[in-house]
Amino acid sequence: MLPFLRFAGIRAALAILTLILVSFIVFSLMELVPGDCAERYLAFKNSQGSVITAADIDAERVRLGLNRPYMERWGSWIINAFQGEFGDSCIQRLNISQLLGQKFWLSLGICLASLLLAYMIAIPIGILAATSKNAYLNNSLRLVSYLGLALPNFLLALMIMLFSTVYFGDSLTGLFSKEMRDAPWSYEKVKDFLGHVWLPIFILGWSATAFAIQTVRALMSDEVGKLYVTAAAARGVTGRRLLLRYPARHALTPIINSLGFDLNRIFNELPVVALILTLTEAGSLLIEALARSNDQQLAGAIIFMLTASIVSLNFVTDLILAIVDPRIRRSILG
Amino acid sequence: MTDASNTATDTATDTATNAAADRKLKEAYFTASQGQLIWARFRKQKAAMVGAWVLIILILSGLFAPFLTPYDPTIAGRDKDYQNGAPEIPRFWDENGFSFRPFIYTTTRERSIATNFRWVSEIDRDARRYVVLFPQGDKYKLFGMSFETHLFGVDKGYIHLFGTDSTGKDIFSRTFHAINTSMAVGTIGVFISFVLALLIGGVSGYFGGWVDSILQMMTDTIRTVPAIPLFMALAAFIPDTWSAEERFFFISIILGFIGWPTLARRVRTHLLTERNQEYVLAAQLCGASPSHIIRKHLLPSFTSYIIVDLVISFPYMVLSETALSFIGLGLKDPVNSLGVMLQSVTSADVLLNYQWYFIPVIFFIVLVLAFVFVGDGLRDAADPYGDTKK
Repeated sequence: MLPFLRFAGIRAALAILTLILVSFIVFSLMELVPGDCAERYLAFKNSQGSVITAADIDAERVRLGLNRPYMERWGSWIINAFQGEFGDSCIQRLNISQLLGQKFWLSLGICLASLLLAYMIAIPIGILAATSKNAYLNNSLRLVSYLGLALPNFLLALMIMLFSTVYFGDSLTGLFSKEMRDAPWSYEKVKDFLGHVWLPIFILGWSATAFAIQTVRALMSDEVGKLYVTAAAARGVTGRRLLLRYPARHALTPIINSLGFDLNRIFNELPVVALILTLTEAGSLLIEALARSNDQQLAGAIIFMLTASIVSLNFVTDLILAIVDPRIRRSILG
Repeated sequence: MTDASNTATDTATDTATNAAADRKLKEAYFTASQGQLIWARFRKQKAAMVGAWVLIILILSGLFAPFLTPYDPTIAGRDKDYQNGAPEIPRFWDENGFSFRPFIYTTTRERSIATNFRWVSEIDRDARRYVVLFPQGDKYKLFGMSFETHLFGVDKGYIHLFGTDSTGKDIFSRTFHAINTSMAVGTIGVFISFVLALLIGGVSGYFGGWVDSILQMMTDTIRTVPAIPLFMALAAFIPDTWSAEERFFFISIILGFIGWPTLARRVRTHLLTERNQEYVLAAQLCGASPSHIIRKHLLPSFTSYIIVDLVISFPYMVLSETALSFIGLGLKDPVNSLGVMLQSVTSADVLLNYQWYFIPVIFFIVLVLAFVFVGDGLRDAADPYGDTKK
């Protein structure tokens, strides 16, 4: 037990180190963009009719602590960030955790659900594709995964919208129906939510599935030709039992390892898909924050949280691997 | 052994002339350059060859877009009497008889009390407009020279094969110019990520040790940051005063920065195994500098892999540009790209009434698919053990 805890401790430290590095990159980039929070806020007030002078901007800078040295500000930002506290949004002047809150968790939930969906489809199909000798099946699977790569999620979303509008007269957008949007969570609202959420999950899962099928197939076809599989077959293990107990277990490790990067890829696609499907409750807040409002405080917080969820997923998969993969378990336990 | 030598051994037993031919074949095989071998393997793959042809045709039509398309893709070439107009398909015959020259009908649009103040278009089947070849039209520049001749047009008014958008710009013309833009963005983006990957992967793989550890840690960190949201944030801060060209280069550079980590990792892995080979040691003993060894000895040993990786990463650049432009953060009018063209299609009006806005999407799916097929074919062809594995 102790070596395992030590292993977990080292991994956690590494994850935190990565996050600190990421926070430095994000923070620096947000500093590099022209204009700072004080200017932006006062420019906003200016547009509301009040007259702003340079002295006002300087006073605002002092009030926000923007006159402190760079490293000091980064230090306080990162310490607060680890406590889930990102300060106030530049323009809306609202606490960011309040602003993001539920929306962030909804987006993360949708992304994780599509990741799950992708592998639920990809693992059986990938194994089938790797082991089946049926050329017809293989070719059609190949075509599907090519399409998954060539038809990016947002084009797929557009196509689905086009067809559903033309044929059903409903564009299938949003996460809730109109009357449910502001209602408190209840059984009815959950039902309404599930009725809407399947589409974004499907669309986000689309190219993730194509990628996953390719990975699973490549890994499995590497493994099934190996001698230990032949040896097991010679001992009389056949069929599904043979596949699942021997090559599948080997192929599992790299798949679990790559989950973090799959989540990264889904995050990359989330904002655009969210915009098309007008998921105002979830992902398109990202776009609002990142694109429309020039709100660097909010943008930095969102990117930090996205990265943090990838890093934590990597941490969790490391621990899972240490538990399920006997090779890694042995190397930790010595 | 490859097919070439196998078939060669079969025929060798026949006659003396065959044996001579066979020797030649064998010689050709053993003296063939890397490029020739890859080409020979690539040529055997049907899907990849089809992809390559489609790709060549699309690239050429992008390059010669100003000539192939009848109108200027910017606001200068708009048809103000035919906004949101449906595609006009040339035909050879109708109830009024047959014509050797393809023709389209004349459409008149009216908005008055009689039409309830909505635009109503009326097709006049008797007023035929004939398609002509090589008409004089909007001025354009190709390879530094100025031309006015286009491939086709109609004798009166305008022809819109794919319809027009809300400002009356010809979607056919825009689509072909957009291919050009996408290729340009992709090329610059791929080039930048290529240089970065070679630099970082090369240094990290050649020196190994703590240099490698630090660079790898940085690469891995950068790889965990979701790139598109991050660059969306950066693109949002592009001042509105930037010109279309400045935006174009900025977006290309951003895309280049997204792509490098994967390639850098492959370069590094390869160099790590190669740098312990004897020929590297020999070069080092001769006093060659690290940069000389990396450039002259190590990189050529896997040029083919690099090329394959570049081809494979190309469509992702194109698609990322499309996505960024689509949400209004990438390119903007008057630059034409698929993303720019799709900006307005999510409105219910377009979805219900103007479905021809989606025609360019088909071209882009074909373009990306062609790239994927060629990339896959090249990957198989560049793998020297590909034949023996099967």
